[in-house]
Amino acid sequence: MALVPGLIKGLGVTGGTLLRTVFPDGWKKPIPNPVKGAETVQYPHEKEAPPPRARGVIALHEENCTACMLCARECPDWCIYIEGHKEKAPPRRAGGKPRQVNALDRFDIDYALCMYCGICVEVCPFEALFWSPEYEFSEPRIADLLHDKSRLAEWMETVPDFEAYEAGAETKVKKVPPT
Amino acid sequence: MTAISDREKLSYIAAQAADARLNLELETEGMTLNLGPQHPATHGTLRIIAKLDGEQVISAEPVMGYMHRGYEKLAEVRTYPQVTALVNRIDWVGSFANEVPFILAAEKLMEVEAPPRAQWIRTALFEMSRVANISLFLGDMALQLGATTPAFFAFRDREHVLNQIEAVTGGRFHPNFDRIGGLKDDLPAGWITETKRAMRKMRQFCDEMEQLVLGNEIFAARSRGIGVIPADIGLSYGLSGANIRSSGVDWDTRRDNPCGLVHSELDWKVWTHPDGDSFARFWVRLQEVRESTKMIDQLLDGLPSGPIMAKVPRIIKVPAGEAYVETENPLGVMGYYVISKGDLVPYRVKIRSASFSNISIAPWLLKGVYVPDIITILASLYFILGDIDR
Repeated sequence: MALVPGLIKGLGVTGGTLLRTVFPDGWKKPIPNPVKGAETVQYPHEKEAPPPRARGVIALHEENCTACMLCARECPDWCIYIEGHKEKAPPRRAGGKPRQVNALDRFDIDYALCMYCGICVEVCPFEALFWSPEYEFSEPRIADLLHDKSRLAEWMETVPDFEAYEAGAETKVKKVPPT
Repeated sequence: MTAISDREKLSYIAAQAADARLNLELETEGMTLNLGPQHPATHGTLRIIAKLDGEQVISAEPVMGYMHRGYEKLAEVRTYPQVTALVNRIDWVGSFANEVPFILAAEKLMEVEAPPRAQWIRTALFEMSRVANISLFLGDMALQLGATTPAFFAFRDREHVLNQIEAVTGGRFHPNFDRIGGLKDDLPAGWITETKRAMRKMRQFCDEMEQLVLGNEIFAARSRGIGVIPADIGLSYGLSGANIRSSGVDWDTRRDNPCGLVHSELDWKVWTHPDGDSFARFWVRLQEVRESTKMIDQLLDGLPSGPIMAKVPRIIKVPAGEAYVETENPLGVMGYYVISKGDLVPYRVKIRSASFSNISIAPWLLKGVYVPDIITILASLYFILGDIDR
């Protein structure tokens, strides 16, 4: 069996890739710059931006939450813990009856259990939960992965606006409430 | 594409027979070799007990179930949207394709049909998961035969497809994007042009692989004529997908039994190979990746406009009944048999996954081969351990 032509062709492919990586600007500017030509990035110094839809971490917009427990019930591994109580609030118009509102005491998401399926965000009828593409929240202790409502509210700042849709879409673009 | 000659086949069989004779004369003692269960190169755990006589395998038995997660039982206590999130994890390399047959079965029971735009996007994502899955195989099989470079190329170019899947679904590996009656969301602006660029990159990757791996004489020497599956034996073991198409059986569920996906409106070809050996399985899969990228281009060009969600109630209760839907997943035919009693949760879900049937031919196929060929054959059968054990 002739061992030459296929092997040399293969070496040509790898050699071409090597040249393209080391000299990303082509032969007009033959300055070696493998950092630019490489497909990978040097992670802690340089970060890739995930797309706006990426499911990184869940942010809570506390004003919208009514402690209805829908998200906690629909969660496939039950990693959301909610406690709330009812409160009397001053009436909207003068002379009216005092309103009853649901106040949130506790809203915890255990990210050690969460499987990032997004069902809670989807079922929320009051638009209180949002996905943020932020991903750097690892902790040395597993107990610290339980984010309470103040920590979840902090993520609200990182929630990007919803993108416009591709042509031909009839779905309405949703809005993120200002924090 | 050249079929192996009868002379090559006969010389391999003659060498096997000569070795067997020698072993008999020398009265060599047998040896049991355990491959696995843990091995750094596998993602998942499969154990193969191979009884050897010299360099030849007398019998080989795959032991599976180390990663059994009980999906069929778990699905009985989860609502339909929750099951969708769960079944992503069966074949984690092409995970969107796992959701599709389940959703189609549930839609069949509910008698709803997704709007055309949803069906087209669904088919495009289905094919993209095939590209992401099989391009990994192309690198992985070459890696198992000792070539490291193709694996790096595969991971490099697969990332473009995964980025596009993430841009539309939000998850690289576990999209959870399919819903009963449509899709969760529409495509973001600019996605179509980006995806077409990614598909061009994948076609370049296929060309590179053709030169790097298929043209390589060492690869050909190690895979041609190794692990030949005749068509009738393959069918009797329940093989499906590229494994049976590489034995010359022209059978593709996407073309022959379309249900809910729009493959019939596209211009594409089912690739087969007459040989049935490891080389043929690699060759057929390589052509399939290229065909899928062309299909995705057509799907994105002809995308109809309209809504992406049919009218379904917010709380999904599936009426009583039974439905079985199978689709041509990256690994082969995958089917879901869903029985509903009109409840929030399915009464019973039977999952027919392709890898389980594909690995079942291993004892027959590994009998009489040499030890290094075990790796070639197992790599070319291409199974995902999560798909075997479920």
